[in-house]
Amino acid sequence: MMLRIRNLSASVDGKPILRGLELDVCAGEVHAIMGPNGSGKSTFAQVLAGRDTYHVVADELSFQGRDLRQMPPEIRAREGIFLAFQYPVEIPGVSNLYFLRAAVNAVRAHRGLPELDAVDFMSRARDEAKSLGMDDAMLKRSLNEGFSGGEKKRNEILQMKLLEPRLAILDESDSGLDIDALRIVADGINTMRSVDRAIIVVTHYQRLLNYVVPDRVHVLIGGRIIRSGSKELAMELEEKGYGWLEEQAAAERSEYKPGAKRKRDSAQPQENPQPSRKVS
Amino acid sequence: MSTVIAEQNVYGAQFSSMREHLPGSHWPWVERLRQKGMDDFLALGFPTTKLENWKYTNVAPLRRITFQPPIDQPLPPIRKLDSGQTRLVFVNGRFDPAFSTIDVRLNFHLRTIREALRDRKPASGIENHLGRYTRTSDHAFAAWNTAFFTDGAYIELPRGSVCEQPIHLVFIAAGNTEPWACHPRNLIVAGEGSQITFIEEFIGWNDSAHLTNIVTEIAAGPGAVLDYYKIEHESHQGFHVAVINAHLAKDASLTSHSISFGGSLVRNDLNVSLDGEGSHCTLNGLFVADGRRLIDNHTRIDHLRPHASSREIYKGVLAGNAEGVFNGAIAVHENARKADAVQYSKNLLLSTEAQINTKPQLEIRNNDVRCFHGATIGQIDTDAAFYLNSRGIAEHDAKGILIRGFAGEIIDTIRVPKVRGELEYQLNEWLRSVLEAS
Repeated sequence: MMLRIRNLSASVDGKPILRGLELDVCAGEVHAIMGPNGSGKSTFAQVLAGRDTYHVVADELSFQGRDLRQMPPEIRAREGIFLAFQYPVEIPGVSNLYFLRAAVNAVRAHRGLPELDAVDFMSRARDEAKSLGMDDAMLKRSLNEGFSGGEKKRNEILQMKLLEPRLAILDESDSGLDIDALRIVADGINTMRSVDRAIIVVTHYQRLLNYVVPDRVHVLIGGRIIRSGSKELAMELEEKGYGWLEEQAAAERSEYKPGAKRKRDSAQPQENPQPSRKVS
Repeated sequence: MSTVIAEQNVYGAQFSSMREHLPGSHWPWVERLRQKGMDDFLALGFPTTKLENWKYTNVAPLRRITFQPPIDQPLPPIRKLDSGQTRLVFVNGRFDPAFSTIDVRLNFHLRTIREALRDRKPASGIENHLGRYTRTSDHAFAAWNTAFFTDGAYIELPRGSVCEQPIHLVFIAAGNTEPWACHPRNLIVAGEGSQITFIEEFIGWNDSAHLTNIVTEIAAGPGAVLDYYKIEHESHQGFHVAVINAHLAKDASLTSHSISFGGSLVRNDLNVSLDGEGSHCTLNGLFVADGRRLIDNHTRIDHLRPHASSREIYKGVLAGNAEGVFNGAIAVHENARKADAVQYSKNLLLSTEAQINTKPQLEIRNNDVRCFHGATIGQIDTDAAFYLNSRGIAEHDAKGILIRGFAGEIIDTIRVPKVRGELEYQLNEWLRSVLEAS
């Protein structure tokens, strides 16, 4: 088992966002996590990457058999977890290429591999960038600064390809893309599919899943996975929306017997408070 | 108050005993200039925090010390900023020919002030400019320098002369005896259509209590293009006070980079008079401080004629208990139609104890202007730090990358590659010590 999650809860400033999430992901699999806005999708992605603004409680949160809670974000990254951000951060004054090389070399050092020198790295980065339709100028510019939405998403995929993670989490990597950019991003994700790598695609829409076909689809509502199924579940959601599942989730919740450590939760899932940060 | 006067009496006595040995003492106009400086210094006394211009900078530590005249000190081996072929080195305010190199092919005057004041011809050239751009009646340190200046560089570019190589002026403070003060003085006169790059670098050698009190006057003729760098790296106990007065004629252009790294108390006054139609200045600044150090940058840009423009960005990085001050005055005078001024002050605080006082000061006496200013004070962006962490970059390295990125906006605009490289090195060294301490 690559990723094993039992009864994961996360809150920010005392407001619960994830409430007892359970998930198993094996190497070689692609999982899609879908859900309406505010259901906790981005929180889940950020928690996996190690964001410390969330208070995290779980019975188990393990990656390749090791407890993730003991690892700061940079160790998670070096161990092979990669998060493609929904909103990549703009960092003025730091060139994209310099950043990419620093990241790749940090991960390589952890794996006992020699540093890539600037020339070798440059040619690799150029090749990968080209395959994503990015020109050299984007490598030399400041990291994400002034990039369009689509350029930022491609730059995230570029990082994933260069860092070669074992578990890639893609948070809304499809949002705001036109169909051509979507295909490029999807191709980038598909080239990463392999038997020893797992991919979690977090998305609001079924559109990306036409190109990146998942092995499993999970619906996250109110901070819990309330339904899992095959790729057909995504089709069903596209057709019916999330409303019918939200009602069902609310009904289940009213019957839900809280665990000893948790309080009974009366909030309606669709009225989940938004965290103060930019996550949805 | 009485102790202050007593201490000024010490400097008055120093002046009486030294004046006939100071450069140019055989010229009555130099004598008058120095006497006026001394009179003004005694009348003003050291500034107190009651004065608006010194509100955040308390010079009491400096006032408590009686500074002696500079001593001769053999120059130790020093990491040299080798930016070009021509370099004038001053040790404790005195020219050191052994460490200096002057390219003989230079097609303009490059001398020390002391030497130039000896002969009639260069002295009369200096007379036209020296002290003309510096008011001593409202700045005690400028007055003190004017009374005591010992040496410095005198650069005079004739009309149309273009100096391709940067001129490097190095001021080394090396002493280990009693506290001492030196008063260097530079004068740069750029003729019509001339062009020059010059670098003032200040190096504190061993950590002794000393004061470098420098005045630099710059006169740019019509269409002259000047690229000026001031790099301050005094030692921990060093005090550094600098007044730079630039006067720009029609279409002249000055680009200034003021980079402050060291010193326990540093004060820079950079004043630019845009006194010609279409003149322009770009003032870039970067100051970094940790410990209990204080760095104060006061700038003033006077738009005196139509169509003059100014661009200014000063950035501060403050760690530990350090304090920073930025006061940026922009005055647009009645006659200065179509003035175009942009000013930014951006500051990064690395600790909860570090402080910055930043103040724009706009005096606009004309309706036909475009004037913008903005100030920011922030800490390391936690979103950005997490983004870097999530790519495997450890916390300290991530901070280093973000701070270098912040400072990069200034350092990347430096056009002399060797200066840029040296500053990147110095910034990295500083960051390493600060991040390791945190």
